[in-house]
Amino acid sequence: MDLYRLGIKFFDVAGERIEPTEFIPIFHEWIQKQTIENHLLIDVHNYSHIHDGPGILLVAHQGNFSIERADDRIGLLYYRKQPVQTFTEIIKPAVQGCRLLENDARLRPRLRFRTDEVLIVANDRLLAPNDDETFSALEPQVSSALNHVLGKSFGLTRISDDSKERLIIRAQA
Amino acid sequence: MPTWKEKLVGRMDQQLAEEIDIFETQMVLRRQGKLDEKIFAETRLRRGCYGQRYDNGHRHDGIRTQQLPYLSDVTKGPETLWDAPGMQRIKIPFGGVTPNQLDTLADLAEEYADSVLHVTTRQDFQLHYVHIEDTPDLMRRLAAVGITTREACGNSVRNVTACPLAGVCRSEVFDVTPYAKACSKFLLGHPDTQGFGRKFKIAFSGCKDEACALTSMHDMGCIAVKRIENGKERRGFELYVGGGLGAVPHQAKLFEEFLPAEELLPIAQAISRVFARLGEKKNRAAARIKFLVTKLGIEEFRRIVLEERKIMPADDRWTGYLSNVDRYQETPKRQPARLNGHDRPEGFEAWSRTNVYAQRQAGYAVVTVTLPLGDLSASQSRQLAKIARRFSGDNIRTTVEQNIVLRWISEADLPDLYRELKRIGLAQPGAGTIVDVTACPGTDTCKLGIASSRGLAAEIRNRLSEKFFTLEDAVKNLHIKISGCFNSCGQHHIADLGFYGTSRTIGNRKVPHFQVVLGGKWQQNAAAYGLAIGTVPSKRIPEVVELLTERYVRERSGNENFQEFVKRIGKPELRRMLELFMDVPSFESDPSYYSDWGDPRVFTIGDLGMGECAGEVVSTVQFDLANAERLVFESQLKLDEEDYAEADALAYKAMLQAAIALVRTEFHDVPDHPNTIVNEFRTRFYDTNVLGDRYAGNKFAQYLFRRHEAPTSVYTRDYAHRIVEEAQLFIEAVYACHDSLSERGTVGISAKSPVQVGKATP
Repeated sequence: MDLYRLGIKFFDVAGERIEPTEFIPIFHEWIQKQTIENHLLIDVHNYSHIHDGPGILLVAHQGNFSIERADDRIGLLYYRKQPVQTFTEIIKPAVQGCRLLENDARLRPRLRFRTDEVLIVANDRLLAPNDDETFSALEPQVSSALNHVLGKSFGLTRISDDSKERLIIRAQA
Repeated sequence: MPTWKEKLVGRMDQQLAEEIDIFETQMVLRRQGKLDEKIFAETRLRRGCYGQRYDNGHRHDGIRTQQLPYLSDVTKGPETLWDAPGMQRIKIPFGGVTPNQLDTLADLAEEYADSVLHVTTRQDFQLHYVHIEDTPDLMRRLAAVGITTREACGNSVRNVTACPLAGVCRSEVFDVTPYAKACSKFLLGHPDTQGFGRKFKIAFSGCKDEACALTSMHDMGCIAVKRIENGKERRGFELYVGGGLGAVPHQAKLFEEFLPAEELLPIAQAISRVFARLGEKKNRAAARIKFLVTKLGIEEFRRIVLEERKIMPADDRWTGYLSNVDRYQETPKRQPARLNGHDRPEGFEAWSRTNVYAQRQAGYAVVTVTLPLGDLSASQSRQLAKIARRFSGDNIRTTVEQNIVLRWISEADLPDLYRELKRIGLAQPGAGTIVDVTACPGTDTCKLGIASSRGLAAEIRNRLSEKFFTLEDAVKNLHIKISGCFNSCGQHHIADLGFYGTSRTIGNRKVPHFQVVLGGKWQQNAAAYGLAIGTVPSKRIPEVVELLTERYVRERSGNENFQEFVKRIGKPELRRMLELFMDVPSFESDPSYYSDWGDPRVFTIGDLGMGECAGEVVSTVQFDLANAERLVFESQLKLDEEDYAEADALAYKAMLQAAIALVRTEFHDVPDHPNTIVNEFRTRFYDTNVLGDRYAGNKFAQYLFRRHEAPTSVYTRDYAHRIVEEAQLFIEAVYACHDSLSERGTVGISAKSPVQVGKATP
């Protein structure tokens, strides 16, 4: 796959108050145990002071994980940074991250991720400009991969046609 | 697959585009092991690609030090792994940035970094967690909007800073912007600035009394002054040299009370030449120009610089820009209008008291956008660009207090602007007050950070913000600045309350501490440095701030400022106050002392890496020879592509590059013309047999002479192959000759034996 700079965000459905800083020790533990498959976890960064920023960031060589609340919707966002063979390689680490957080005793049952709605971000303005052509090209791959990993059929819509913004796709089951 | 290089053809300045191509080739050479890691390190530093914490492949995870198993063991510098993410510094001369540039910066932060833009204390932007493989495209996209990263780090002229109010300030003598711009452009990549032993920082201020440009802490500080001569007004600068913070702060010395504007660039060049020639090269801890000025004395330093000035070849650029200075102006987006009777949203009054400055142009104001810890998200950046387009036009500047200002705001637009900033989370009040804490990156990302400056800054900011509106004005107007180590990137010396990170061992454990530095003078261009009073555990510093400010409010006499208060109270008494907080309980009774702000890991200094801001001391000869090697490499590629004419041209260029490298050791200003280079080389190194004393060097010199005197018009593979081989051998002979001369002490340090390692400041 030429295009690998992609992001995927899973949203929290529980809606309970969780302080961003609660995720910091959890991410540090993930680094201690190198918990995420096929990822070299490197560092944690607190960006919770930035409005609409990356929140709490877990940096890995292959991709970055962050707990962020863009548009007031808390969720886990994973950005891939290194090449992949298939789109499922981008979904799987994010899903693993969500499961780990849901099952962490410090957060349970305050955090639960929905699997019937995700955002896909094409984080590459060269290979994936925000236009109909890119959307059409990506749609079948994204649908197929989401179906494969999450076991559901998804309808895909483009969020904005602002050419300065990245192509962002909302996938709803 | 499309590439940015192809897409941006014609949109980049040609020279910038070529420089980036060269850097990309240097990356290839380094990955193939054909370029020394130390030279590559300084090369990438001079392109703004800086190392970042843990890039040596080790990180303490709170339990043990983990080895981070990156796939490749290639390095991009000593103890710096190729695959490890790094920091990209982006120069913004005098802090001037446009909405289009902000958009691009936002795009780059999203695609290549962590979606955050960080404003530094030198008005730069920084991106963190950037992979070096992405940097050429990152640079191309910046070049397409007129930004270069060249010489953002390394032993070079760093970003030229200037007062962010220049041109609109009520108390300035004149607008220093065009001078700062000209100085930045003139010295960028200038041959006379390539041989420094350390970095060189320049600042411009429009007046003497305000703090904005901090000229006293700069290697070269220029304060605008005017004189009437023969009934005519003349512009010039009060020029200071040899200031600096770092571990050993120096106040800059007065070099000239009135340096006429037309002498600004030649004197800057002469100072650069003297610094490059006489500045320390081996001991990096004493290599800044402040040490040279101290060693020589300002009178002798001045004498040498003025002598140098006399012998420098004239350059049209010295005064070429001056004819445009009077025409320099910024275009407001909106008409001026007073704020009369407009609706004022909730929070507006408090915000405008600290964040709005009435310009000297009636009806216009400068708005400070306060950035907590100097950070803004890519999304905020893009929205701020939109806001600027609506209210300010191209008139945006970053500040050394890590904020952004929007200039030329029609006062009548202020309420709407406030609403827009509030919508994107950028309408915090308190700009330039005690809550507007400055902090370097510290242990978050810096290899040299000892304690968490950003963690402490966030904590202090949060605590003070809660009670900001109840604070006395005397306290509100204080400045807090925090560095993660003694190197002073957070400028702790010039704050009312300054702190720098350090460590203490209690039992067998490390405890993060901060040295408390009190009474620095921010005003009058950083006129005085603070006093180190004592070291306090990191976790007690917020209480120190509280105690000191409360006592200041309670006991200050009349309008006594904080510096005067600190002086009157005296160091022993201040020390006694700090001693209340110095005790550290055992780990068992309170483990919180043993971790840093915002980082739950048990504190360690084991993650400290090798700094590289000053990088290796790489001489101009080394750079020239590395450049010659790159050209040979490119000629080989052309040979493989069967482009024999181009292979020949590049190989010849490589030989000339190697020759001029050697000639410059004796004749600094040798014109860059093939005939001159060859003649000078022949006279100085061939006829004297200097080249010939090792590896039959004189034989190799014939390769250059033959190619120079008798270029072919028939290009065959055999011919091109031979020329490429000869170029390689010639370069080796030059290396050998330079090493031989170095061993004899005839020239500076060996081309292949750089010796110094460095450290960081922005």
